[in-house]
Amino acid sequence: MRRTRALDRGRPAGRVALLSIAVLTLSALRGVVPALAQDASVGAQVDRSRIDEGGQVVLTVEVSAGNLGDVAPPDVSGIVDFDIVGGPMTSSRFQWVNGRTSATKSFAYVLRPRKTGTLAIPPLGLLVGGKTYRTGSVDVEVYPAGGAGIGPRGGSPRSGQRGGPGQIGGPGQMGGPGQMGGQQRAQPPPLAAPQVTVVADVDSRTAYIGQQVTLRVVLDTQTEILNLGMKDTPTFPGFWAEEIKLPENLEMRRVQRGTDVYNEYTLMKRALFPTGSGALTIPGMTYQIQVRRRSQDPIESFFFTPTETISRRTEPITIHVQPLPAASRPPDFSGAVGNFSLNVNADRRETRVNDAIGVKVKVTGEGNLSAVSSPPLAELSDFKRYAPKVSSSSTLVGDRLRGEKSWDYVLIPLAPGSQTIPSVNFSFFDPRAGVYRTVSSAAIPIQVARGADGSVGTGGASVAQSDVRQLRKDIHFIKQAPDGLEDRSRLFYRAPLFSVLLLLPVVGDLGLFVFTRRREARQANARQRRERRARSQARRRLKEARRRMSPSTSRAFYAEVARALTEYVAAKFDTSAAGLTHDRIEELLSSRGASDEVRREFHRCLEACDYARFAPTSSGDEQMRRTLLAAEEILVRLERSLSS
Amino acid sequence: MTLIRCAALAALALLGSAAGARPVAASTSRELFEAGNNAYELGRFDEAATAYEKILGYGVSDPRVLYNLANSYFKQGKLGAAILHYERALRLDPSDRDARDNLEFARGMIRDRVTESEVPYPVKVVQDVLDGLSANLVGAVFLLLYCAAGGLVGVLVLARGHAGRRALGYCAAAAGFLALVAGGALAYKIEQITAARAIVMEEKVDVLSGPAADNTVLFTVHEGTRLEVRNRRDGWYQVSLPNAMSGWVPSGAVEQV
Repeated sequence: MRRTRALDRGRPAGRVALLSIAVLTLSALRGVVPALAQDASVGAQVDRSRIDEGGQVVLTVEVSAGNLGDVAPPDVSGIVDFDIVGGPMTSSRFQWVNGRTSATKSFAYVLRPRKTGTLAIPPLGLLVGGKTYRTGSVDVEVYPAGGAGIGPRGGSPRSGQRGGPGQIGGPGQMGGPGQMGGQQRAQPPPLAAPQVTVVADVDSRTAYIGQQVTLRVVLDTQTEILNLGMKDTPTFPGFWAEEIKLPENLEMRRVQRGTDVYNEYTLMKRALFPTGSGALTIPGMTYQIQVRRRSQDPIESFFFTPTETISRRTEPITIHVQPLPAASRPPDFSGAVGNFSLNVNADRRETRVNDAIGVKVKVTGEGNLSAVSSPPLAELSDFKRYAPKVSSSSTLVGDRLRGEKSWDYVLIPLAPGSQTIPSVNFSFFDPRAGVYRTVSSAAIPIQVARGADGSVGTGGASVAQSDVRQLRKDIHFIKQAPDGLEDRSRLFYRAPLFSVLLLLPVVGDLGLFVFTRRREARQANARQRRERRARSQARRRLKEARRRMSPSTSRAFYAEVARALTEYVAAKFDTSAAGLTHDRIEELLSSRGASDEVRREFHRCLEACDYARFAPTSSGDEQMRRTLLAAEEILVRLERSLSS
Repeated sequence: MTLIRCAALAALALLGSAAGARPVAASTSRELFEAGNNAYELGRFDEAATAYEKILGYGVSDPRVLYNLANSYFKQGKLGAAILHYERALRLDPSDRDARDNLEFARGMIRDRVTESEVPYPVKVVQDVLDGLSANLVGAVFLLLYCAAGGLVGVLVLARGHAGRRALGYCAAAAGFLALVAGGALAYKIEQITAARAIVMEEKVDVLSGPAADNTVLFTVHEGTRLEVRNRRDGWYQVSLPNAMSGWVPSGAVEQV
């Protein structure tokens, strides 16, 4: 392959400075260029429309508009048929062509299908400048493992990109294969064109799924480069791409090719991780390169800087990706490819019940860990385990991506004693050796003392409690009848006994009432009868006394008179005559309204009787007749006053 | 005196007759119950329901049988029959929390949402307490208090001393008041038990404006909805919902609790 010499050879340092200025100008312009009244256009595409069951697919959502501002990643919660194992990886591109600006931002996700068949990625919404734009839906066919080859790229077509650059320079001339290895070189035109080549190269043409392939795009030039840009955002269908950052000022290297000396710049480096097996192609990339044109006119050369924009396109590169061997795959393998080490650390070895300990499980090594999803620490019965805090980072050591992913667990010991955090296993595929490897950590003994309050069991103040959630509801279970069944349909209030018992107190009380009333009535009758008979009885006694009115029987006479009087009072007041003293008689008589005079008479008469009864000498007839008359008189008066 | 003696004798005679009348199918019903429970546990709900129904056919109305039967119907997806038997179980044993929960759960699955009229909080509390007590218990308490009040009145009639009569009077009044409260509670229980309620047993029943098929369809109720039966007329029930909507349904489409 022949190469024409560059006619214009500027000093390398000057050219780098110019390049940098151009880049800076572009980035500065981004802020000041007014927004054009352009609608945004959004699109979603996948790198492959047909994959194996265990494969991965890269979904790229791209939004472009005149002025984009801040664009949040799309809402991917609608993707249900795939696990999102990586992303979003954002990249943005800005173009300024013929006074028109165009900004493009893209979000890339790595998706792993959950099942086979034709799976749909639903339309995703993107909020751009207060308006929501929706992508089209994308179908991905997922075949059972090993059943399908690699399909063509991209399911649905990308929505039209507006403001794409016009073809500025002439079309790039395709050269033959490069001198070294599989390098493809874009060859400059044979005559009068500047000596500029852009070459894409990879470090390996074969790889396993998930194994890093490093892509490098190199520009060789013999002329001064004034400006440089890419026509399209580079896409890497079938790969998870990590950008390898290049220094701000492109580094130049002088290389000798045959007799010619070139200035070589590395334009792009990407760490590519194949997400599916088969022949994957890295498509060609087109660079627009502005170079100083050689002019024959010395005046023009002196006053102006004649420039020319040329286009160079790299050759597509095909990489043969082998699937990970299905045989001897460890059950806990979660997709890590590379070479990793495992480190498990507890922040302390001694603790108390309910005092949290932190356990960090860290996997580090060469390879892409973003797709490793399963937390490697098993559930422990004597510890309450909280969901781990997962953090991952990746760094580049040289051109190799080194991943570090850690799971920070908080464990709450629930029981005292010697506990053990068991060993943790991590399996990965070592692509260099082509075998699966499993690394294990040592088990960590933890000495758990009783809690500060002496608690030995679960619970306690330091355990964050949450409400018990009802997961599902169902009816309560059936009942048993250990003591046999009984008919409970008989209701007590319906039983005749109930009515009888209801009537019983009423009837009983009525009966009692009637009974007592009758008894009282009978007693009242007896009293009345005695009262009625009191006077006649007194008269009979006085008649008897009259019969004994003689000095020889004077004592009997007086006794009879006194008895007639007291018996009369006793009968009138329904009481016994035996207990009637003079004072009691006085009291009774006054209670029924007998006049003082009658009472006095009564008293005198009784006293006279008593005196005569117990006197040693008998009294005369005259005295006895007076006493009798007085007694009769008293009875008449008493009768009158007591019955009134 | 003779009256009291007669009443006491009558009461004794009734007690004796009540104690003597008991079903004798106890052993077979118990076996059937075990068989039903076993079938239920094995998931053969129709078989279980048949066994439980047979027990009820013997006249052994045990709330547990009704509850288990309701569960069997529920598991078979017969919502109307399940609700009907939960209601029946609760009538016999209102304190059964399981039946109450299951009834509520089953009611949550019926199509008709009928809002019950709001009851003020104090009334609700009293209702809840009473709903948890069996009618027989309330009846017994009422009778005890009633008889106590009656007895105290009787003693009062016989008593003589002034102070004693006063104390007795207070006691009798208190017992009488409590008996009155218990009587109110019993009346509530009786109302609850005797309330004519029916459960819709068919998936969908049209409620008509009159007791004949050619009447206007007023509204439609669905399986499991509880209706108040207000009137009966040859093969038709006049029913109403708690929100006062009412109409006529064929008696075959509903089942009385």
